[in-house]
Amino acid sequence: MFSYDHKAGITASTKALVQLRAMKNFKPDMGVKVIEDMSKIKEDFRLQLAPTRLDMYELFLGLLEDESVRSELQHKYGSSCGFVVDLLQICQHERDPKNLLVWFEILVALVRSYDASAEVTEEIFKAFSAYFPISLRTSATPAGITAEDLKSALRNCFAAHGRLATLAFPFLMQKLDQGDAVTVSVKVDILKTIKACVEQYENPQVSVVPHIEKIWSSLKYEVRNGEVKETIDATLEVLRAIANKLDGTSTQKYEASMLKNYIELVFSDTREDLSNSTYTKQAGLLLMTVVTCNVRAYVLESSNLIECLRQNIRQPKSPSHTKDLVLLLNSVLRARMDLVKNRANFNPEDEKLLQAESHTSLETLFHDVYLPLWTKRVNDPRLEEVDVLKQVAQGFALIVRQQAVGPDGQVLLLSSVTVCSEICFLLTQSLTQCLALSSNDNVVRDAALEDEIVLAVRSVVMNYTDGYAEFANKARAEIRKRDWTVPSKHSLRALTDLIMRLAFIGCSEIPSSAALGIPSQKTFSPLQHFITLASTALELFDTLSLSVAARPGVSVKESQVNAYIMAALHAGILHFCDACTEKYKQESLASYSKSDRDWVEEFRHMPRDWLRQLQENNGKSDEALASVKEDDPEVYRQFLRLSLFIVRYLYLADSTGESPTPWSGQTRIQLANIAAFVVGSLDEGLQRSCKLASEAFNLFRVDKSPSTLSGPRDSRTEPLTLGILRGLWPGTMTEMYNPDGVAQTFMCDSADAGSLTARESQIRASIGLILANKYKGGASTSDPDGQVMGQVMDYWGKQLKVATASTDISSTKLEALIIHAMHIIAGATARQDKNVLGLVLVFQEAIASQNGGTVARSIGILVQSNDLLTSENHAVFRRFYKQWVYSNLAKPLYNLALPTENGSEAAIRYTAAILSIASNCPFIVYEDDLEPLIRLIITALVNRTSLSKDIARLQVVPALEILVEVLANNPDSLKGHLRAIVDSVTAIYKESFHEHRERSKHDSKPVGRASVLHIVMCRKLVLQLLAALPKKFEVRYLLPFGHVLRRTLWEACGDPIRELRETARLARKNWLKIE
Amino acid sequence: MQKSELDNANPTILSVSQLPSRRATGGTARHGPDSKYDYAALASLSSDTPSWHSDDDIDGDYGDAHDEIWEAPVDEQEIYDLISTISDPEHPNTLGELNVVRLPDIRVTPAGQRSNLTTVLVDLTPTVNHCSLATVIGLAVRWRLEQALPPSYRVDVRMKDGSHAQDDQVNKQLGDKERVAAALENDTLRNVVDKMLETCA
Repeated sequence: MFSYDHKAGITASTKALVQLRAMKNFKPDMGVKVIEDMSKIKEDFRLQLAPTRLDMYELFLGLLEDESVRSELQHKYGSSCGFVVDLLQICQHERDPKNLLVWFEILVALVRSYDASAEVTEEIFKAFSAYFPISLRTSATPAGITAEDLKSALRNCFAAHGRLATLAFPFLMQKLDQGDAVTVSVKVDILKTIKACVEQYENPQVSVVPHIEKIWSSLKYEVRNGEVKETIDATLEVLRAIANKLDGTSTQKYEASMLKNYIELVFSDTREDLSNSTYTKQAGLLLMTVVTCNVRAYVLESSNLIECLRQNIRQPKSPSHTKDLVLLLNSVLRARMDLVKNRANFNPEDEKLLQAESHTSLETLFHDVYLPLWTKRVNDPRLEEVDVLKQVAQGFALIVRQQAVGPDGQVLLLSSVTVCSEICFLLTQSLTQCLALSSNDNVVRDAALEDEIVLAVRSVVMNYTDGYAEFANKARAEIRKRDWTVPSKHSLRALTDLIMRLAFIGCSEIPSSAALGIPSQKTFSPLQHFITLASTALELFDTLSLSVAARPGVSVKESQVNAYIMAALHAGILHFCDACTEKYKQESLASYSKSDRDWVEEFRHMPRDWLRQLQENNGKSDEALASVKEDDPEVYRQFLRLSLFIVRYLYLADSTGESPTPWSGQTRIQLANIAAFVVGSLDEGLQRSCKLASEAFNLFRVDKSPSTLSGPRDSRTEPLTLGILRGLWPGTMTEMYNPDGVAQTFMCDSADAGSLTARESQIRASIGLILANKYKGGASTSDPDGQVMGQVMDYWGKQLKVATASTDISSTKLEALIIHAMHIIAGATARQDKNVLGLVLVFQEAIASQNGGTVARSIGILVQSNDLLTSENHAVFRRFYKQWVYSNLAKPLYNLALPTENGSEAAIRYTAAILSIASNCPFIVYEDDLEPLIRLIITALVNRTSLSKDIARLQVVPALEILVEVLANNPDSLKGHLRAIVDSVTAIYKESFHEHRERSKHDSKPVGRASVLHIVMCRKLVLQLLAALPKKFEVRYLLPFGHVLRRTLWEACGDPIRELRETARLARKNWLKIE
Repeated sequence: MQKSELDNANPTILSVSQLPSRRATGGTARHGPDSKYDYAALASLSSDTPSWHSDDDIDGDYGDAHDEIWEAPVDEQEIYDLISTISDPEHPNTLGELNVVRLPDIRVTPAGQRSNLTTVLVDLTPTVNHCSLATVIGLAVRWRLEQALPPSYRVDVRMKDGSHAQDDQVNKQLGDKERVAAALENDTLRNVVDKMLETCA
């Protein structure tokens, strides 16, 4: 079939032969015969269809890879391999990508398995090298084959066997040295091919070593003068591959001289470049690549490289040269760390090399190189020197992190304790000195440098763990030196920087125990930095309180410095929690927030200065802490325990009056935030076993008497109650909801309304909200009949009725009462508590009444987004509760809001109530009622001048808020009302602008924050609305207003508030296009 | 404006971090790795981020202090922010980056909001003193400010003394309302100015 050109038969016979070959009894001499006969097809092979050729290629491949056929062929032809020549001849013009893949495989098999003579090998080499560099036309791409497949198949041919080395390397070098004619992708292909050859050729003495010089002299320029990142990276890969090849494999090492000669070759060419600031980086890159790619290279040559860098650092050409050199030195140190860390994956000989490594060049680096660079610049860094300092700071950290492998395989810190301690001192010095500067000192603090130092100190203290206590002591001493009774803004800022950094440095990572080796270091506990921070903060807290107390005449408000200490503690807790999540992963933390112990009870038996004791003996005195190891998620549980201790300590300091000064409101809120986080992190069962629900009102005091609740309430400590309540799970709180129990008593109490300050009543309302929200009634709870919430709702329904009907109630009291009521109801609403529905009619009546304005305005609170109703606070909220409120409360009001019914005053208040609810809901909730809603809005806006100021104020802001939403989501619905909208909002803007001006003129007049907020809000919304209009409507709809609005917006560009000016400019720009 | 040769082919360019900004001069927000939790830990201590518990109103008064926080008259920095983002007609950089516009060369008189007429004076420094595009740059700055400032502001744009070979002539052109208006009616010129202003927010 093959010798006569019988096209129809070829495919069939090839397929038949494939089958035959696969049979058991297939004779090897038959295989030889098949190959010979198939080769007779000669020129006709090219004329066959591609699939036919593919079948033939596969048959060839199958035969050539068959071991018995191979030995038969070898026997018959010897090294002359005549059949190969025939084969090459018939196949040499193949272009089909699919066939090429098989053809390349055949060639690989030929090179690998047949010991052909040099001539034949050269022929084979010619056959595939002719295709290099290979590419693929996209139009001709058959499914599934990419240019990358072809490239790697061809690359395999080059790398098939070491006997190709004498041909492949010169060929590839010549292609590479064509200069600009080679594109980046081809260059990368060549480099990858060289790398594959280097990696796969066996016996490097013969195959690779003779070509190294040539390869190096071609490649060095790719890095030295190269600009394209891809080629530079690929080149470095080749250089690294050579060094690794010369080193040996993980089982067998070659002679050291080969590697040494190679690195010295690289050294001899690049040494000079290090002193030339233009080429420093590139030269460093080359040297770094070969020196740090394996342990032997590092041990052999690193001291040379370090010495070289050291000499150049002594004679720098410019600050940027110094920076580059220090950067290189840092990279060497970093690479060394990686080698030591990954040594387990290497040859056992490497471990021995590391143990025997001489450390002299590393040990002297600090005093010889880094220290002089630092001291020379740190006191007066000029702009370009800052970059050097940043590198030096990193270098400091790297020195401390260096580890040495001891003779018995034990890992120690390489630097001595004195060096570590000195580095720690130098770095922390620049962090603490900010406290000593006054705002008049003309020292520029470079934030970027300080950030770098912070990171450096962090990695220092994670290894040299004693460093953190040194830093904390220094910071504490510095802070105590100063007078904090009436601090300036500048010193508060410096204090914030220092303590927040203290918190970050100690707590954002879990310290590593590798430092154990230093004998002087105390036993290590992964929580020791956290303990140090906490005990430092608590101690500062006490001493600062004392110092403030000693100064009569300083008001509580001024002594806010404690709030900052508290903030640092809070940040430390959050950082540490992050570090745990990072290290132990979220899932495992969940199971470690559980426990059945009563920690609070245990704390009662501990000394007050427990944390300080722990700090002094590194947690040894506590059984649980002493045994915990760095990799054990138990760290997290112990962290929670310590945090709860801190919370309890501070709560007691405030609630029992142990603190010598009264706390400021800010401090208490800070503490409440910490408590909310810590309590919230505990699992439900743990909260229960610690009886935290009872501590919400008891505040950890020992005398648990019920009188704390029934007696007069202390509004000072209510923020603390709020803190604990925020963190509690609803399941933990059930016992509070006995009929007439704690929760109900609290929720049904409005005696103080109107007599508290705004903040106090807000805290109280928030507590009510949480209590109402986390209520859980029904069987097996303390409220089996589920009557508590019904009673609470009834109570507030009555209160609302009485208050709104009353004529002699003061407006402050009325407002306080209603806002309180709304918060409690809002808590229940989020759960979609059925009892709320009983209030629908009460609300309607209340709104219609004389005092209904306040109810109308406040009703939005029911759906307002609230920080307390989040899953972090374990709040209970249904997904669609806003829809529920809207349809049950707002919808029935639409009919009542029509002016014809109920008299116009009440109708206006109904409108206000609808707007108040809708403006707090997302667009989708009121989407179906757009038409009546927009009518209400327009009426409200247009008629606002005929109404009293208070009533108008009720409506305008929510109306504008809804308009902005509608415009963003469904602008078409506003099309018919554009005239009314534009006219009224322009007028609103002008009125509010005028009012603002008037107010500024007579600033002696006391101004309420709410009214300022209101007029600013009006203008902001108007400008947002106007800015969005041109984007939503075609020009023809807007043309009539263009002229007036451009003028108005031009004037708005002079708004007293900067943010509004920006919006006005944007709006004006948009409207300038409407012409 | 296809010019075959640039007036100054190699100008000095400032990096963004070197430009004057409000944050660098008076901002209170901290940056850097340790500030990750400032929002949570310092929330109740910063006075300008209102939230449900932020105001320390133990005395119950909200004082005029809040107006001070919010009210901010147009100042030099704001003018700088408006014009420093204008692109240079021949380089792919902004006027701020090329140091053509400099914060100390901007004056707002009288400072504050309450007067009826405020004058904004901007001195420009061309990168080379024979810059042929000085007038165009001046025009763009003027146009930008006229667009962005309310009617009660008078804008005066000039070349800084001695910074340009023909500063008298350029200043005369830029000071003449009629000529400015006429220049902006020229389509080619208007296109150039619009192109320059594209990078402004």
